Amino acid sequence: MTNIFKLLLPTLFPSWRFFDVIAPSPRIQYALLNAAGEITEEWQEFRPRPAHLPFKQMLQRMVWNPDWNESLFLTSCAERLLEKPTTHSEDEILNRIMADLRKTTAHNHLNTATQLQFRLQLIQRNGQTIEQEIVFYSRIQPIHKDEKRWS
Amino acid sequence: MELDNAIRLTEIALGLAFTQQSIEHLKSTTHEKTLFIPRLILSLLLVAGFQTPWITLLLLAISLAMLIRFQGPYHGGADRMSLLIVSCLSLAHFAPTHYWREVAFGYLALQLLLSYFISGWVKIVNPEWRSGRALSDVFQFSAYPVSDALRQLAHSPRLLFTMSWAVILFELLFPLSLLSSTTLIIALFIAAAFHFANACLFGLNRFFWIWIAAYPSILWFQQRVMATF
Repeated sequence: MTNIFKLLLPTLFPSWRFFDVIAPSPRIQYALLNAAGEITEEWQEFRPRPAHLPFKQMLQRMVWNPDWNESLFLTSCAERLLEKPTTHSEDEILNRIMADLRKTTAHNHLNTATQLQFRLQLIQRNGQTIEQEIVFYSRIQPIHKDEKRWS
Repeated sequence: MELDNAIRLTEIALGLAFTQQSIEHLKSTTHEKTLFIPRLILSLLLVAGFQTPWITLLLLAISLAMLIRFQGPYHGGADRMSLLIVSCLSLAHFAPTHYWREVAFGYLALQLLLSYFISGWVKIVNPEWRSGRALSDVFQFSAYPVSDALRQLAHSPRLLFTMSWAVILFELLFPLSLLSSTTLIIALFIAAAFHFANACLFGLNRFFWIWIAAYPSILWFQQRVMATF
């Protein structure tokens, strides 16, 4: 009950401080691993944005924009992880990366991989330069056989 | 605008916004559908005008369940505004007297007004916003621009300076639009255009629909307040 009030109060009495400061921005990168303890350098950005988005597609996204909205939610989860790590945020990111990989036939590597991990890259301004830093590694999540079968 | 008409218009706009949001979640492969299929059905019933007090209350319950499910808002400010509207509508429906009904619905109008004014205030007190640097950072490295091509806007300082001050001044001056119904309608059109631009550039489509859903409240509020003078 305390938890629901904590979640509800900022909604009933919102602060409306949109973009008051431009905070460091996390990016989610994932890797598929083949063995426990494997160290990989093959990190891939999760859902990289397109090089260009035509205006027609912008208009379509006014009514149908589920992937982008999910990506924004995952960015919120990443920010929550950096502020106060919880299993909930980590699970959300791992589960949704896994679901995305299952839908994408391009990820044949999924058939041989046994584990999934993600990390967070933080991008921020420092004076006149933009800096990138890896600030978080998730737990290594085993990929179950039934999860692969859906791919 | 009469209070009952404003409430009904809000219900229809909210129902349509919730329908759009809920349909997007049906694509999900996680267990979200157990929340969003009932939400979709209830939203359509709200648009149809079926038992709206009870439907609004059920939508409020689902909104609370969503807060727990996602451990906070799924879509930041858009979900906050969604919950605020559905809460105010529920309170207005079950208010014991006409006075409290007006207070509940007026609170939504007040929060809508504050959503613009406070956003403008926090920007104007920030030197990075006044110089255009903050908006440059939004385009350069934030998670929001919908394409890499849009990141090039970070290198147009004059444009960003102008855009920053246009947004700041509009948000700060928004409360003055309540002086007449004509200025308010003009301001709401500009605000809707602002949300539309945010939806195109940053993919914030849900903000567009849900903020529009709160507009009837401020149209009613303006007439109600001005009638007392």
